Amino acid sequence: MAGPRVNGNSKKRKAATEEHAQPEETVFSHNVGLEMQSEDEGSEGDESDNGEVDEFPEIDPRSDSEADEEYPGDSAEDEEEDEDKDDEEDEEEESEDQSEDDDISDDDLHIFPKAKTVTSDITGQLKRVFPPIEPDYDSDSSTEEAPNRVGNIPMHWYDELPHVGYDINGRKVLRPARGDELDKFLETIEDPNSWTSAFDKKAQADKPLTAEELDLIRRLQENEIPDAQYDPYEPTIEWFTGKGKEEIMPLSGAPEPKRRWVPSIWEKQKVMKIVRAIRQGRILPNKPKTASDKAQFYAIWNEEPSAHPAPLPAPKPRLPTHAASYNPPEEYLPTEEERKRWEETEKEDREQNFLPQKYSALRLVPAYNQFIQERFSRQLDLYLAPRIQRTKLQIDPNSLIPKLPSPNSLRPFPVYKSLSVLHAKTRVRSVSVSPDGAWVVSGDESGNVSLWEVIVGKEVKRWKFDGKVGALEWCPRTDVVFFVVATEERLHFVIPPNLPAPVLFATQAVLSPANLPPAPATPSPVKWTSVSAASSSSEKPILTIDLPPSSGLPKQIAWHRKGDYLSTISSGEGQGGVWIHQISRRHSQAPFKKVKGAVQLVLFHPTKPHFFVATQRYVRIYNLAEQKLLKTLQAGIRWISSMDVHPLGDHLIVGGYDRKLCWFDLELSDKPYKILRFAFHLSHYGRRTNMFLCFM
Amino acid sequence: MIPASWKRYQLSQLVNKALSLPKPIPFDFLVRGEILRTTLGEWCAEKGIGEEETLEIEYFESIMPPQRMSSLPHEDWVSSVSSRLSSHFLTASYDGQLRVFDYSQKLLRTVPLHDAPTTSLAIIPSDLAGFAENTHLIASASHDLTAHLTKLSLSDSSDLPSHQILASLHLHTAPLSSISANTSGKHLLTASWDGLIGLWDTLVPSSDEVPLEEPQGGERKKRRKLGDSENSKPKRKAPLNVLKSHTARVSRALFAPSGNQAYSTGFDSTIRTWDVENGVCLSTITASAKPFLDLALTPSGTSVLAASTDRTVSQYDIRAPESAATPSSATFMHSGTPSCIAVPASGSEHQFMTGAYDGVVRLWDLRSTKGAVTSFKVWEAKGGGKVLSLDWGNGVAVIGGEGGVEVWKANQGDRSVVSSN
Repeated sequence: MAGPRVNGNSKKRKAATEEHAQPEETVFSHNVGLEMQSEDEGSEGDESDNGEVDEFPEIDPRSDSEADEEYPGDSAEDEEEDEDKDDEEDEEEESEDQSEDDDISDDDLHIFPKAKTVTSDITGQLKRVFPPIEPDYDSDSSTEEAPNRVGNIPMHWYDELPHVGYDINGRKVLRPARGDELDKFLETIEDPNSWTSAFDKKAQADKPLTAEELDLIRRLQENEIPDAQYDPYEPTIEWFTGKGKEEIMPLSGAPEPKRRWVPSIWEKQKVMKIVRAIRQGRILPNKPKTASDKAQFYAIWNEEPSAHPAPLPAPKPRLPTHAASYNPPEEYLPTEEERKRWEETEKEDREQNFLPQKYSALRLVPAYNQFIQERFSRQLDLYLAPRIQRTKLQIDPNSLIPKLPSPNSLRPFPVYKSLSVLHAKTRVRSVSVSPDGAWVVSGDESGNVSLWEVIVGKEVKRWKFDGKVGALEWCPRTDVVFFVVATEERLHFVIPPNLPAPVLFATQAVLSPANLPPAPATPSPVKWTSVSAASSSSEKPILTIDLPPSSGLPKQIAWHRKGDYLSTISSGEGQGGVWIHQISRRHSQAPFKKVKGAVQLVLFHPTKPHFFVATQRYVRIYNLAEQKLLKTLQAGIRWISSMDVHPLGDHLIVGGYDRKLCWFDLELSDKPYKILRFAFHLSHYGRRTNMFLCFM
Repeated sequence: MIPASWKRYQLSQLVNKALSLPKPIPFDFLVRGEILRTTLGEWCAEKGIGEEETLEIEYFESIMPPQRMSSLPHEDWVSSVSSRLSSHFLTASYDGQLRVFDYSQKLLRTVPLHDAPTTSLAIIPSDLAGFAENTHLIASASHDLTAHLTKLSLSDSSDLPSHQILASLHLHTAPLSSISANTSGKHLLTASWDGLIGLWDTLVPSSDEVPLEEPQGGERKKRRKLGDSENSKPKRKAPLNVLKSHTARVSRALFAPSGNQAYSTGFDSTIRTWDVENGVCLSTITASAKPFLDLALTPSGTSVLAASTDRTVSQYDIRAPESAATPSSATFMHSGTPSCIAVPASGSEHQFMTGAYDGVVRLWDLRSTKGAVTSFKVWEAKGGGKVLSLDWGNGVAVIGGEGGVEVWKANQGDRSVVSSN
């Protein structure tokens, strides 16, 4: 019975042998050949049938239990069946293993022990008797004979070694001597058996195949059943049909149980429960039929069309292209750079979420590792993510760059050096351009002050003062013309030559009035001395202001726009060195008792009575009328070098030595409205235009 | 047909032969406004002009490289020079002095004209004033807000004072930039930094026409009385008319040859034409952002040349009808700011000379705008200096400026036209 399943697997085969071997009483299998004949000839006797009938129930459990040797303590049949299946699977695996070994390995093929044919004591017929399997260690067919006990391992591990494994006693099994290819060839010629020998991996030598094995091979080649003794066409054994075989008596003589004819109490209780429920109306046997139960129809197009926009269609997944192929054309394969770029970009920014890869065969393609994520994001696309057409911001980076005006539209600006004039060898400390733009005065460290005609570059006049000239500045008034030169602790007011008479007289009247204004009540440390208008000339300063001693060299002169006030910063210590001089009252005052930090620059507001004081890092705005601090501007510049206010008075630019320029809107905050970098050492607002000049 | 390998020399020989001149004269050649310096073939290749095209080549007498003749040293900068007085050079300097040299570089006179720098001088052609021989009337403008009329005697006799300041012209409230006289010598034009142009006659008034400005106060009256008693004091003269239109400094004002028109230019980038008699501005040429420093009429009288601080000298057609912005018909680029233009009084009608702040005097041909015909550097021994004034006539160029005065020999050639292909 188990015969057909036995093919090529040892365990089952063993089980099968046992099946055949154990029940010694069975005869039928032994007589296969005979029975075939008998079938041809006619039916057999009752005896054999009977014996077979008797034995049939006994066979199954035994064979099962024996087949499941490895699982002692079997209980349920179900489990057994399961294990059976397991066994089968195991066997299949093994068979695969062995298929690799090929038919050559002789251990496995040495399967069918020789059966003896004996006459049964019971039936008196011939039967095949297999030798009993001794249940010792050697009974496993896999351990037969082979001297090499390394087991089922890749034999190439021993390639480098002189031996091919170990025998059961742990001794090395030496590698049999093998000839070279020539020897092999000669062998094939000389030895008539060589073509029937095969290489035994375990022994690492050629072994001649036995006759059984050759027969097995032949059968396999010819698609015959490998087992020579197996008869696929055994005659059917009629158990219950045929004359005298009808079943007359019941199988069991037990009387019919009572439950077969007594109605079930439990069923009755169940039914009664339902009956009661129906009676109480808990269960309605039939729904009451109403008019609404009739099939309802309505016109689906009758409704008003929805005002809402149609739901957006689900985004379609992009169809795969050649790039997604497992074997894409070469041009789709990413280069090293592209691969690197792809890896560097953010996941969301990648154009495609995979890199094309090439496989030589479809079976080499691994599982797609992005599958779960892709499905998940697809699900998100479909019903979790809002279906909004996302407008991707396509911003050209060039459009973010502010459009620079063409240089031509910004003209005029300095393009080339028109003139250069040479001062004496010392350093020029200060330069000032006259309000009408025709003259320039410059002062140097040796005390020379020169008046230059701008357009020609000719030095028209030169004055000599004692000590360094720290600063000089033209008076911004146009009705009078003079400039102020600051030397050590002194301010000199000088009238340039060649003035028209009315202007000259007006200037003299301003600087050296006939009636001096009354001296201020509090004595001031600043002394004003002037030459009378009649004796004045352009050679000598008409008015001199003596600043308090040890105030040092004034480093800046700042005029109020109206030309009546001027402010000076002395480099010496004390009171911050800031003085405000009023020409009409011939009065000087120091506005600050104490100023935090060294004052760098001062500036008058053009319209309001405000006064800007720049220290190293801050610009403070004071109201001179109310005498209080209005604002502190934080320029964020390390060291302020220059400052100018717009002629309208609402903007201030501050330049620093660290090449920054801050633009303050005085109406707004303390922080710069704009910061321009890489600029400027000196800054100045143009008089008429809204441009400002910056010099490196 | 002319071979393409010909250069100036071969062309010059050709013209000499064609004209069958008794004495060979070297010529220069102009091709499309450019002086030919290479072979014709190279020129065509450079410009990408096919050889089949017809080229019009003009020739003019070659200008010999100018040669320095003499140097007249000055202590201060020279603001104006004139060679219009025969066999004399007049120079006005920043020290306020007028100097007269003769051709042998001898300093004949040193006339203290002004206390302030003199900016301009003009010789008034006055054979009608009843002056003695060798006596000239000279007008000078200065930083001291006045111009002076001075009688200058060059005769050797010592009985007459060598010079006498006849009158001072009072109008301007800013330094004067130029003064010029018309051909008849009857009228003067002064240009000033205050944007005004004064028109004056050359008659010396018998008494002050303009009172002396004085501050209020009794102290000054005494002085006035004293001043009145002096007869030799220059008379204070008032202008005939004031031409007001410029909005910025006027740098130059000059008469047209006819005498009843005048041209002026200034820092407001305009060139104005004036009707002198009525004192009306007839037309205005407005350039953009070109403060003009000097102005000269071309010999033909149809256009003016104006030097601007943007390092160009531009030619404007003054016959053109008035328009908002008249494009200049030609522009001559300089490497330094051109400060003065000199047009020869006679001779070539296409050539002019400019002096620039880089100390280079360039000779231009009006037809060749690409480059100067020739140029030379003055005061090379002193390391150069600005050229402030220039006078050119009779083959002699007088150059005044930072380094004094130099006299150079610079000829001008006649011209004709030839066409060939």
